[in-house]
Amino acid sequence: MPCRLQQHAGLLRNLTVSNRVAHPSPRVSGRASSSLANHIANNTVQSYTSTSDDPFLNLSFEHQLLQATPLDSAILFLYINRPCVVIGRNQNPWAEVNLHALAAGIPSRSSHQADVAVDLVRRRSGGGTVFHDQGNVNWTVISPASTFTRDKHVEMVVRALRACGVERARVNERHDIVLDTTNAPARDTDSLDTHTTRFTVPRTAKGEENTVKVSGSAYKLTRGRALHHGTCLLQSPHLGRGGILSQLLHAPGKDFITAKGVESVRSPVTNVGIAPQRFMDAVKRTFGDMYTQSQATMIGEEVTEDFESLCKGMAEMRTLEWTFGQTPQFTFAVDSKSAHRLPEGLALPQGASLLVEAKHAAIQQSKFLLRDGKDISAELHDQNLAGTWTWSEKLHDERRSKNLPTEDVTQIADILDRMLPTPASLGFDSR
Amino acid sequence: MASRTVLSAVARSVAPRLAIQGGARNAVAVAARPAYPTRSFASASRLAAKRFTEDHEWIDYDESSKKGKVGITEYAANALGDVVYVELPAVDTEVSAGDAVGAVESVKSASDILTPVSGKVVGINSTLEEKPATINKSPEQDGWIVELELTDAAELESLMDEAKYKSFTEELGDDH
Repeated sequence: MPCRLQQHAGLLRNLTVSNRVAHPSPRVSGRASSSLANHIANNTVQSYTSTSDDPFLNLSFEHQLLQATPLDSAILFLYINRPCVVIGRNQNPWAEVNLHALAAGIPSRSSHQADVAVDLVRRRSGGGTVFHDQGNVNWTVISPASTFTRDKHVEMVVRALRACGVERARVNERHDIVLDTTNAPARDTDSLDTHTTRFTVPRTAKGEENTVKVSGSAYKLTRGRALHHGTCLLQSPHLGRGGILSQLLHAPGKDFITAKGVESVRSPVTNVGIAPQRFMDAVKRTFGDMYTQSQATMIGEEVTEDFESLCKGMAEMRTLEWTFGQTPQFTFAVDSKSAHRLPEGLALPQGASLLVEAKHAAIQQSKFLLRDGKDISAELHDQNLAGTWTWSEKLHDERRSKNLPTEDVTQIADILDRMLPTPASLGFDSR
Repeated sequence: MASRTVLSAVARSVAPRLAIQGGARNAVAVAARPAYPTRSFASASRLAAKRFTEDHEWIDYDESSKKGKVGITEYAANALGDVVYVELPAVDTEVSAGDAVGAVESVKSASDILTPVSGKVVGINSTLEEKPATINKSPEQDGWIVELELTDAAELESLMDEAKYKSFTEELGDDH
């Protein structure tokens, strides 16, 4: 793909928090002659639809819009990604995602088709982990922070859904869109009230809501601009009990990880059941009602030609140093008290205990004690969990040099490989 | 309806600011900034006060050490809601006015913290790593985010003083 900076992705290997946080004020770089760059820099209402299903491209174009559009402008961007799991800016992939299931991809239904790859993406906005596929439409509105509220644009999307005949759709307390599931109408409501439907019932004493989620929100705020983006599940084939979505979002190591940062709030989800094009047309109309109706511009991979900063951001977003290396500090621990909760097929050697503490994926402390009190983690200090090594490799090297018991070391390596896999052991590299 | 009232209260404006930059802020900069750094007593005492930005950051400058602590204002902390994570920069990072010098996450929002002035990061508030909610409890004291060694203290003069910031937030409306 014509992204001139992509081959330099390796340069980002040495990124530290400091160079990442302290970047210079945004500049619209790119050829002055680009009509897209001019359009982005000068119009007060803008609407875009992507023809690309590349999550890295779409999220990077969205970030470009956040940084390069006029301070008083309102922007709509609609896109559909290929299957991917998207974690929030300050989340832990080992606690949120079943990385082995992700690496295995979505199994094809017939032997003639290849399995479908699933990307792992860390976005720049806050919030929790979501799954995207072709049955999910992502909607983004960027507007001035001065007049922004967290509900403003999710209400706009509810109006669009209702215009498509989805009368049970409403905004909930978490700024998400849910469908009320109560059978019979429970009340009269004002049809303009986007927070209540005829089927809305109070939360039960047990906290049950009688709702299913169809859309989740996340936000990024910077320099007077507010980005609000959300998913909308319309016709994903991967939902349902035991479906791939549920597998992907259950991390085997979760119970053994204590993490700073943001933990996802789990909600039952469903499809709205309408066609993506119909939904997108309706959102464009309700956005036009709020601001000004305008023709949507189609964008695709060619935008990488127009903006150097977009290419740079996209290259950064694809690195392991971003996806794994930006993980807030966390501790992974297994001891005799918690070992009974290990997933099937894993066992902690008698009397052993494991502890890994990592900040930005760099191992700060590790202790893998065998029953005789021997620590077999010496080789791991200063290693980075986003690096190109595997637990088996390191621990068996240590075993050979110190003549440690094979079975114990294998069991420990299995636990770590399964629950705290390094990208290398998953077959990932900086793409 | 009770539930609707709660929702309205939650739907606050987040970190509001003027949509158009420049204007008043630049006018102040042009009028107040001396052509060369002065060391008069009047100037020193004026600089020693706390200053504010339209992005709702504050800086508390100490004339004797030439260092200033930076944080977000009570107004911003209220608008952002419960802070659950704070990302701090590395000590020794060089920053220019307007650069992101950290970020906070609250209610699914990642918000950049912009430095009001140029300088070098000489301290970070590590308390925030353990207790991010300190920003909500004490945004303008214990919840400071970074300490900067200023490149040019004259940059402070383009920022708002307490009274000006107060009327600036009042103009933004009573969102909370």
